[in-house]
Amino acid sequence: MSGYLLETKLHAPKPRPRVVQRARLGERLARGASSKVTLVSAPPGFGKSTLVAEWLGQQTAAVAWLSLDADDNDPARFWRYVAAALQTAHPELGLDAARALEPPEPQIDQAIHSVLNDLANLERDVVLVLDDFHMIDRRDIGDELAYVIDRLPAHAHLVMTTRADPTLPLARLRARGELVEIRAADLRFTEAEAWAYLNGTMGLDLGGADVGTLEALTEGWIAALQLAALSMQGRADPASFIASFAGDDRYVVDYLADEVLARQPPDVRRFLLQTSILDRLTASLCDAVTGGGGSRAMLERLDRGNLFLLPLDDQRRWYRYHNLFADVLRTHLLAEDPDSLPALHRRASDWFERDGDRSEAIRHALAGSDFIRAADLIEPAIADFGRTRDEVTLRRWLEALPDAVVRARPQLATALAGALMQTGMLAGVADLIATAEAALEGPAAATHAGPSESERVRLPGHLAMLRAGYSRITGDLPNTIAHAQRALSVAARDDHLSRGGAASLLGLARWETGDLDQAHRSFAAGMASLEAGGYRSDVVGGQVTLADIRIAQGRLGDAVDAYRRGLDLAVEGAGPPLRGAADMHVGMSGVLRERNDLVGAREHLAAGRALGEANGLPKNPYRSRLAEARLCQAEGDLRLAFDLLDDAERVFFADFSPMVEPIPAVRARLLIAHGRLAPAREWADRARVGATDDISYVRQFEHVTLARLLLAEGRVDEAVPLIDRLVAAAQDRGWVGAAIDALIVQALARQAGGDLTGAVGSMDAAFEFAAPEGYARVFLDEGPAMAQLLTLASKRGTLPSYAGELLRATGPRAARTPARRGLMESLSERELEVLRLLRSDLDGPAIANELVVSLNTLRTHTKNIYGKLGVSSRRAAVRRAEELDLL
Amino acid sequence: MNDPKPRLGGTSGYEIRTQGRISDRWSHWFEGMTLVHEDDGTTLIRCPDLDQAALHGFLARVRDLGLPLISVTPMSSSEPTPGSSQGSPR
Repeated sequence: MSGYLLETKLHAPKPRPRVVQRARLGERLARGASSKVTLVSAPPGFGKSTLVAEWLGQQTAAVAWLSLDADDNDPARFWRYVAAALQTAHPELGLDAARALEPPEPQIDQAIHSVLNDLANLERDVVLVLDDFHMIDRRDIGDELAYVIDRLPAHAHLVMTTRADPTLPLARLRARGELVEIRAADLRFTEAEAWAYLNGTMGLDLGGADVGTLEALTEGWIAALQLAALSMQGRADPASFIASFAGDDRYVVDYLADEVLARQPPDVRRFLLQTSILDRLTASLCDAVTGGGGSRAMLERLDRGNLFLLPLDDQRRWYRYHNLFADVLRTHLLAEDPDSLPALHRRASDWFERDGDRSEAIRHALAGSDFIRAADLIEPAIADFGRTRDEVTLRRWLEALPDAVVRARPQLATALAGALMQTGMLAGVADLIATAEAALEGPAAATHAGPSESERVRLPGHLAMLRAGYSRITGDLPNTIAHAQRALSVAARDDHLSRGGAASLLGLARWETGDLDQAHRSFAAGMASLEAGGYRSDVVGGQVTLADIRIAQGRLGDAVDAYRRGLDLAVEGAGPPLRGAADMHVGMSGVLRERNDLVGAREHLAAGRALGEANGLPKNPYRSRLAEARLCQAEGDLRLAFDLLDDAERVFFADFSPMVEPIPAVRARLLIAHGRLAPAREWADRARVGATDDISYVRQFEHVTLARLLLAEGRVDEAVPLIDRLVAAAQDRGWVGAAIDALIVQALARQAGGDLTGAVGSMDAAFEFAAPEGYARVFLDEGPAMAQLLTLASKRGTLPSYAGELLRATGPRAARTPARRGLMESLSERELEVLRLLRSDLDGPAIANELVVSLNTLRTHTKNIYGKLGVSSRRAAVRRAEELDLL
Repeated sequence: MNDPKPRLGGTSGYEIRTQGRISDRWSHWFEGMTLVHEDDGTTLIRCPDLDQAALHGFLARVRDLGLPLISVTPMSSSEPTPGSSQGSPR
């Protein structure tokens, strides 16, 4: 499976004796060794790999070789092979990376960093060769590799051979002199090299003119020269061959391969064609496929005869055909004996199954259109894929099967539904689930024995979990809950993935309904199952959700514990922390801010940022900005707070969690707090919140925001019933975080209505929740009206000490940021006029001139303006006025 | 000739010209396409219906055979596709 590494891919081809010495290219490769990257880019058959392998043979550097194939076009697999290749170069390289990439949850960023670390710590030259890099076209692998190249230590070099230029920043590397390129024009044989090759390596005896003609006809293309040489071996009259070659306008490979094949004895020819279906050849496999013996001797014969056979290991146990030659052979096979293909693939598939390489067995079954066999092979492998999370490969196989085969087998239909959902494709998922369920209930299909007993037990729970997930994604709350509950009741004890997934989904659904205690219990149970199954990074990410629910319950201390647990889990083991550690710091910052430890809150934000964007979960970009916006509000930097909210909205990412505090509502609160009621009213209209709406958990934050707006607009009569209903619901249902928030608004409403005793009562109720957990900013972020309430509560309330503590915290800050005072005492028309001129470049006398007043009068105006705005300089006054939209 | 406009999300016919006469044996390699051998020693591969991804996949196959690529031209939809893979259409 995906954990299975082919050692032959890590083997540099051994150069044959008597190969043509190519000093000019050796020099260039040597130059490459002192730059970062060497790119050997040319069509097939130009001797790219041979050149690099030959050159490496003369080097003292540690060498890591990796031959890539189409299956490596997957980041986890690609880096797993890179780590394995590095380990062959030096035992200290790639060990941590290999560990980080282990299933079930490969950590690619972590692996890349530990590779870079290992390379930096190695005290000798090391060369990593990525052979056939054109097999890789995934953009993310290219980006990851570009990142590595940028950070390569001086003693590490990357060599790539490829048929197509890779998607790396080549122009930048060129400009910095970090790239050495060897291309087709460099690789093609010169006449002298062609002479040495044809007469030396291939043992011909050609004159200079014949060599010149061949070189011109093939344009120095080595594959064609090799075919030509094979065609001429043992021929009495090479000149006539060359003449007829020159007179033919066929594609040179066609012409020459026909010649070469026509000259092979029948047994060799048959062997070549039949084994052309194999990507790798070894004697017993070839025996199985050809149905005869003697393959070892045959392979040795081909090897000696230079028939495009490349050894893949030192013992010459495994070989492969040169790609171009293999294509030619397959073409001949298809044209001459197409009916033999299914049997050949079947025999190859059987051999690989016996040898324990299920992936290859499946590949050959699919290539031979033996879909029943392919399905039989895929089914038992599904559980492994669940563990390794290699949904991409699984999906590719399942999609290669005819629809009817997948639908007839509940295991396959279930696996495809799961793989599709994992990769974000919803189309057809519901249908596949229904098909699988129906197939499980009905009699087993005639074509196969049906799922094993243990699968019959496992599948219903897994299907129910998939249904719950599908319902969650499509926003169907009742069905999410129903299916998740069903999954939990039928899933086997040890089916950690189904149980974990179902319990987490149930937790999220209950959170959305406002059943916070049950939500926490279910979600925590889901995390415990996933942890038991080894899904560590899911558990790290889950801590954010657990903490969110804790905060909603008004349990800040427990939220901190969840973040700490997430951090501990993330840094467990060697290497950089798992993805999600940054989110924990952002969460911690939020709690510290609430507790009015603004310095600590800043520190955690910085710590989260220091881990890098890549360490954050997809929702971290917006959550970190939201957290910082609130921190800026607490610090009094309103402009930055608004900017950050805009930013947060831009990078918003919706996941499975309910959106309890929508960013537009957060912005509306900031607007209300600073008297900008018109845009806040626009928010309320857009968000379609009304004072007579039913109270629901997911909208309570918006409703409390609306109550604040109504209060600020002086519509106390509308605000009071709404806020009373909110307070009752929040207290009744244990939404403690929301209750504190609503009680504060209730206190302000009562204060505004002159009911100071009632206001103090609301404050006391809020303190009862807030005091044990150290809530502070929720009070302090209110305006000066709160100072009065706190004063009252500290004298007449039931928790005077807490009120007094908060009051002291408001004191100096209230004096320093008199934002709200500016709102209570508005500027006169004349003062606004002065303010507008203060924004210009004019100096004092010029402004006085403009207003036709004396400098003294102007000073009086500015003093009044500064006082009302609570500032002490012209610049601050302008800034403040802009914040308040006064200009 | 009317102006063929290949679109990113659509399909379009293409004519791909390569150097050398390609044997008909390769027709499975170029499935669904027509090979036309021209007098000038080039091969015209007519692909009636390719979207952009299929075009790039096809070009990779041309590359993998080491066939020198001469041109890639969008076909006008009104142009008939010859049914035979032999002989010149002219």
